[in-house]
Amino acid sequence: MSDALLRIRGLAKTYRLGKVAVDAVRGVDFELSAGECLAVVGESGSGKSTIANMILGIVQPTAGSIEFGGETLTARRTSRQRRRIQLVQQNPLSALNPSRRVEASLRLALDVHAIGKRSERRARVLELLDEVGLDASLLRRSPATLSGGQRQRVGIARARACGSDLIVLDEPTSALDVIVQARILRLLNRLREERGLTYLFISHDLAVVRAVADRVIVMQHGRIVETGDIATMFEQPAHAYTRSLLAASPVVTAEEVAIRERLRAAASHA
Amino acid sequence: MSAPILDIRDLHLAFRDIGGYAEVLHGISLSVAPAERVALVGESGSGKSVTARAIMGLVQSRSNVRISGHIAFEGQDMVRLAEAERQRLRGTRMSMIFQDPVSALNPFYRIEDQFHEVVRRSQPSISLEAAREAATRLLLDVSIDDPQRVLSSFPFQLSGGMCQRVMIAMALINSPSLLIADEPGTALDVTVQDQTLDLMRRLVERKQAAVLFISHNLGVVREFSDRLYIIYRGRVVETGPTTAIFEDPRHPYTRALIAAVPRITRATLPDLDESRANFSEPCVVHELRSA
Repeated sequence: MSDALLRIRGLAKTYRLGKVAVDAVRGVDFELSAGECLAVVGESGSGKSTIANMILGIVQPTAGSIEFGGETLTARRTSRQRRRIQLVQQNPLSALNPSRRVEASLRLALDVHAIGKRSERRARVLELLDEVGLDASLLRRSPATLSGGQRQRVGIARARACGSDLIVLDEPTSALDVIVQARILRLLNRLREERGLTYLFISHDLAVVRAVADRVIVMQHGRIVETGDIATMFEQPAHAYTRSLLAASPVVTAEEVAIRERLRAAASHA
Repeated sequence: MSAPILDIRDLHLAFRDIGGYAEVLHGISLSVAPAERVALVGESGSGKSVTARAIMGLVQSRSNVRISGHIAFEGQDMVRLAEAERQRLRGTRMSMIFQDPVSALNPFYRIEDQFHEVVRRSQPSISLEAAREAATRLLLDVSIDDPQRVLSSFPFQLSGGMCQRVMIAMALINSPSLLIADEPGTALDVTVQDQTLDLMRRLVERKQAAVLFISHNLGVVREFSDRLYIIYRGRVVETGPTTAIFEDPRHPYTRALIAAVPRITRATLPDLDESRANFSEPCVVHELRSA
């Protein structure tokens, strides 16, 4: 495929803690096309956040390459390269500076990357807020006075501020209530559709992933154990680990309970 | 049905705020029978955690809290009981496990010392060795295969799932009649959460403890609980057997809670209205009453 926005080849990361070496990611290959949402699923320690951090340039790979928009990304990135890949974190309260008001947090992203004329930036901040469904009255508020859902919307607006193409979403809704989670997932779907964004969506919850992703990568112990399009993965999970993830999802409908029972029965026979 | 071990009648609770009291519980009534598993479900700010803290007697002595109504636990009124009496019940007749197991354990003490402290609440003269033995049995019950290593460890040396199992074992070691579980496992991965709930269910069954399970996710409580209370803005809006509520949810808020759980069978998300007057407004504003 030539139109891949992101191309990962043989990516690996070994963390060294004194004499101990931990292989967090052990040779991972995947591609992400423009406009696509790819989910990376796995439990704590499977290496999914390390992959995200390498793509963002926060962590340097031990081996392998990251190609983005036809350029190979190295430890030294240009402002333009950094601008195009942005992050939305799990906990929006710790992701936002507690002493900065909403307006200042969003302005900072524009100032750092010198986007637009200074006089136009305030209008741009308002646009960003509107895009994520927030009211202009929140401009002067500090993160502590916002609800969890509002904070995560600010986090998304900030990731959008500098005109990013690829947004890395690291468990963006796992700290939220189910109703707020459903709204944030809808917002993400709408933004992707309207703005042609590309997402790398990291999660441990397969049910959440089903609502947003086109394709899924399942990771275990730093390796990809299964990959495929979203419907196939849910209807015919090939790997035992994928099935165990599916069987652990919280369920509400009788149909889902039946699927869960079947998966559990199959697992206990194996 | 036998007499409930926990019976809450018309519980009101308010926190002092600038210019008056903000009432957060507007007359909650709920009951739990012996060995029954009951879930209290609602979103952030609905009052579910403060209800749990009131049952444990953790808010009564705070000077900024005004509380009225009845919380009868095994025949004693937790609203009017002296603090020393409430203190005696905590950890012995009733116990609680929290959302984040790692921060709920004391980082400075080994697990064995923390078990010892808990067991001493019901048997003040018990030795560390005897407490260790009792703890070993319970850790095996929650599928910890090497209890000796875990007992000699500090919390930071254990994984989150391991700490959660330790918390469950510790909460049940004195055979309480009521266990309050406040969002246990939401800080953990789905697979670990699922295993943890399964272990908890088996252990409370064997110990014949009743459970009040607090959660925001109906999908998590479906298998675990016999009965549900749905709480919204400090009021119980719906209650009934779990199966009946899932088959025929009556209150629009209950329906929204069910609809909001992502499905493994379809990719669509519910269209949850965001208007301010809506029942499911996430940013809860409590009614202010003058002092």
